[in-house]
Amino acid sequence: MIISKKVEFSASHICRSPELSEEENTRVYGAASNPLGHGHNYVVEVAIAGEPDPVTGMILDLKRLKEILEEKVLSVYDHRLLNREVAPFDRIVPTVENIAIDIWNRLERHIDPTERARLYSVRVHETNELFVEYRGEA
Amino acid sequence: MTVRLARRYGFSASHRLHSSALSDAENRALYGKCNNPHGHGHNYEVELLVRGSVDSVTGRAIDLTALDGLAEEQILAPFRWRNLNEEVDAFRSEVPTTENLAAEVDRRLRTVWDERFGLSGPRLERVSIWETERNICQVSDYV
Repeated sequence: MIISKKVEFSASHICRSPELSEEENTRVYGAASNPLGHGHNYVVEVAIAGEPDPVTGMILDLKRLKEILEEKVLSVYDHRLLNREVAPFDRIVPTVENIAIDIWNRLERHIDPTERARLYSVRVHETNELFVEYRGEA
Repeated sequence: MTVRLARRYGFSASHRLHSSALSDAENRALYGKCNNPHGHGHNYEVELLVRGSVDSVTGRAIDLTALDGLAEEQILAPFRWRNLNEEVDAFRSEVPTTENLAAEVDRRLRTVWDERFGLSGPRLERVSIWETERNICQVSDYV
């Protein structure tokens, strides 16, 4: 069974790679390559897989999940310039792909120490027209 | 790292649901208002779900500029502001239901996909079409 929770944060980013030429950056990232940055209201959907506890009827304590999301993701990402203020985006481009992978890495081992429930997917919507889902696959 | 990326596009078009294999009465009974001889239209939304590995330099699972270009060329330009029955070849013989429209979009993209993105590049995993918010059809490579 899968349960998912949705949270939002707002952040700015600059999509440019130092390994690409000016022309390549413009071609690959389009308007998102603006060196002064721009922002989005990101929507994050975190899906948790597991079976409901026979006593509580819950896969996971959702209050606890909310706290984990606040502590591990929102307090780190919300109202930040990702390139400057959130590791690893001093090294890698903060595309929505890399944001989904980073959020997975921040959350995975904290979801449930008893391992009854596990992180199934992280879906990050950058706009209404674009989202990425990461399921921990290599 | 393998991720799934979804990109959404919109186009507006008109159509009429009418099968030449059925009688007028059967067409009216089956398709209801959608059988109106004058046609009608929708704001269609198309979602392309792509599975790919994230490039270590660009941080992208697919070249979005190339995907947008492909969608424009294969779907949006041929379908936008068109009468699907009259102006899209596939629908001269097939009824332009959401099912057939999804299959046609899937076919158009797959015909040129490997040439554009390479055999080891990102894969088109699913095409979804919203005819209205309540009427959605999906074609995927895993069903």
